[in-house]
Amino acid sequence: MKKTFITVLMLMTIGQMMAQEVSFEAKVSKRTLGLNERLRVDFIMNKNGDNFTPPNFKGFRVVGGPNQSISNSYVNGKRSFSKTYTYFLIPTQKGALTITQATIDISGEVYKTTPLKITITEAVEVPRDPNSPEYLIDDNLHLVTEISNSRPYLNEAITVVYKLYFRNPLRISDGRAVENPQFADFWSHNINIPRLKVENGTYKGESYNVVVWKKSVLYPQKTGKLTLEPLILSLVIDLPSNRRDFFGNRILQQSSRTITAGRRTINVKTLPDAGKPVNFFGAVGQFDFDALINKNALKATESFEIKLKVTGNGNLKLFNLPELVLPNTLEVFEPEHSENVKTTLSGMQGSIEDNYTVVPRFQGKYPIAPVSFSYFDPKKEKYFTLRSSEQIIDVYGGPVASNSADNSPLVSKQLITNADESFRFIKLNSNLEPIINKQFWNSKLFYILLITPLFLLIVFVLIMQRNLSISNDVEGSRLRLANRLSKKYLGEAKKNLKNKALFYDALERALYNYLKARLKIKTDDFNKAKIAEFLGQRKLEQQDIQSFIALLENCELARYSPTTDVKMQQDFDQALSVISNIDKKL
Amino acid sequence: MRKLLIFISVFCCLTVLGQEKDSTFENANAAYNAGQFENAVMLYKEILENGQHSAELYFNLANSYYRLNQVGESIFYFEKAKQLNLNDQDILVNSAFAQNMAIDAVELLPKSQITQLKEKTIGLLSQEGWAYFTVLLMWLLVLFWGFYLWNKVPLVKRTFFILTIVSGLLLMGSLSIAFIKSSNTAETTYGILFNKKIEVWAEPNSRAEVIFLLHEGTKVQMQDQLQEWQKIRIANGSEGWIKNGKVRSLKGFK
Repeated sequence: MKKTFITVLMLMTIGQMMAQEVSFEAKVSKRTLGLNERLRVDFIMNKNGDNFTPPNFKGFRVVGGPNQSISNSYVNGKRSFSKTYTYFLIPTQKGALTITQATIDISGEVYKTTPLKITITEAVEVPRDPNSPEYLIDDNLHLVTEISNSRPYLNEAITVVYKLYFRNPLRISDGRAVENPQFADFWSHNINIPRLKVENGTYKGESYNVVVWKKSVLYPQKTGKLTLEPLILSLVIDLPSNRRDFFGNRILQQSSRTITAGRRTINVKTLPDAGKPVNFFGAVGQFDFDALINKNALKATESFEIKLKVTGNGNLKLFNLPELVLPNTLEVFEPEHSENVKTTLSGMQGSIEDNYTVVPRFQGKYPIAPVSFSYFDPKKEKYFTLRSSEQIIDVYGGPVASNSADNSPLVSKQLITNADESFRFIKLNSNLEPIINKQFWNSKLFYILLITPLFLLIVFVLIMQRNLSISNDVEGSRLRLANRLSKKYLGEAKKNLKNKALFYDALERALYNYLKARLKIKTDDFNKAKIAEFLGQRKLEQQDIQSFIALLENCELARYSPTTDVKMQQDFDQALSVISNIDKKL
Repeated sequence: MRKLLIFISVFCCLTVLGQEKDSTFENANAAYNAGQFENAVMLYKEILENGQHSAELYFNLANSYYRLNQVGESIFYFEKAKQLNLNDQDILVNSAFAQNMAIDAVELLPKSQITQLKEKTIGLLSQEGWAYFTVLLMWLLVLFWGFYLWNKVPLVKRTFFILTIVSGLLLMGSLSIAFIKSSNTAETTYGILFNKKIEVWAEPNSRAEVIFLLHEGTKVQMQDQLQEWQKIRIANGSEGWIKNGKVRSLKGFK
């Protein structure tokens, strides 16, 4: 066992000896390197060959090479030869990389190198030379963007200041902006810097010279992440070199350098929805609001002005003033807008105003409704609403509006537009009456009162008809009349129908009494001729008078002549008919 | 005797009460004249709450509100005064002042002459007035008819016949006007808007668009109602819906 091992070992050593004749190998400067470091790869051979094929260097970028070097040396009469191909590589990625085989053709035979494993780590700090100009500039020159607030609200002012810090031994002899930042999505205002001034300042606790290069006030107009494009400056820098002039001063060396401030993002917050007033139109800042009226009392057709004014600190130019609502009977002209706004580093300051010219045409009192103005205060993070006080314009003299908005369907109002119609005083008579909700219209009483007269009419008509039928019945009416008269005058005679003398006496007396009552004749001058004359005056017919006289004569005669009961009855009836006849005519 | 005493005392009390109300009115007038309009309003309202009213009271109350620059209230009470007394010049003039103070000036729709005539005729008397007039005409009609039937002299008879016919025609006219008026007032309710500012929507939901804006003191006709939405119509014929509007109805007295 031991024997065999020794044999194998010996064979290997012989093989080695043989191989030393031609060698081709790859060597790297480091096995582990940072991403920002360079790697040198040498492919070394001890015999000249042809058709060198480098590996493809996957994962690396070739920054130098291939450089060839050949060396021949004679030591103790023994020549040694070596030829080297050198590559300089920069890794392009991290991790374990492999440099694969390279091939070469040496005297008809192809030789290969062994693959090499390289580990690429994170970039490593490259130590610098403190005396190099690059290092000097980098260390002593800084361009800084100062942002007052990187999380502003929408429309809240932020300031961006670009400051250039530098210190000894650097001196800046010239500078210009290669690229000025564009503030897209911002309302921006550059604050003019008339002359760049060098001041003393500190940067990271060390004292520097400072130049404020650019100042801008920005009002973000969009929410979300907004980027500020960087400012790029091209500077000519004087820096001392190691050489000295004749007097021992250092000779300055000029170097030009481009420096950028770096990209910055600003996160713009939306305004909170909670408590957002209805009439919020985007004013952000601290404001004061008022409506000013230059006259409180004026004549009709004169003009007055209403000024809506917002003063304060905020995005004054970026919102509209609230609109003024006025009674329609006032003639209002388009408002005149004026701004008096200064933009400083703290934002816009000043006032904006809308000036309305109003001409009242009719007299009366016109209320100027309070105008409200809302804004958001980003410092207190709250909405505020300011309200102008309500004011009354008293317009005197001039006509009263005729086309007033009275829309009562019952009243077609046509007010005379008297020139000096004035507001009337209150009434002094109370004329109070209890409020009664009972209506007469449609009430029972109304219908009763409406219907009753009809019933009354019907009753009236019925009575009338009855009367008419009675008056139409001639015989009956005569009989009734006779009855009445006989009751009145002939009652006594009727009682004595059995006794002749008394009957005729009573009958005669009754006839005389009747005439006396009817004609108002005095008793003493009573005779037949006088009766006939009186009756004739009353336009009685001759026949009636005759029958009356005849009846009287009959009475006188009957006293002295025999008569029967029948005759007496006839005379009584005749008397009745005569009296009723005369009575009717009289 | 005792009854008489009670009667007298009750009567006295009543007259004292009556005088008190009148003195409240006078106090209110004095307050108005002294420029203490808030007091005047309070006193006038006290009278109203005690169950008494008159066109004059409403007029004075409206004037006080006008002086206090409360447009809506002022217009409301002027309208009330007009309901009781249609043709008072003072009320009309001061009401025009109050209308001036309102922000909206609604132009009236032009009316045809026939409509104007009709409205004038209907507006001659109040509802009650027409009712009384109708009853009066009925009695006159019956009286004339009776005279006509009763009288025998041809000339008088003819006169009464003509009078009967005329009063009959008038009766029919006034009765129909009273009916028209009553149905008009039953169908249409007017109110005064008390919102400082309100949006009028095309439909009773918030998806619809806002057609126009109205302000305090506008007289609107109240139409349909759907939940918190109220359909209104203004004098120029525009219609729309308002949400949760403060509209005080002019109908009736309370």
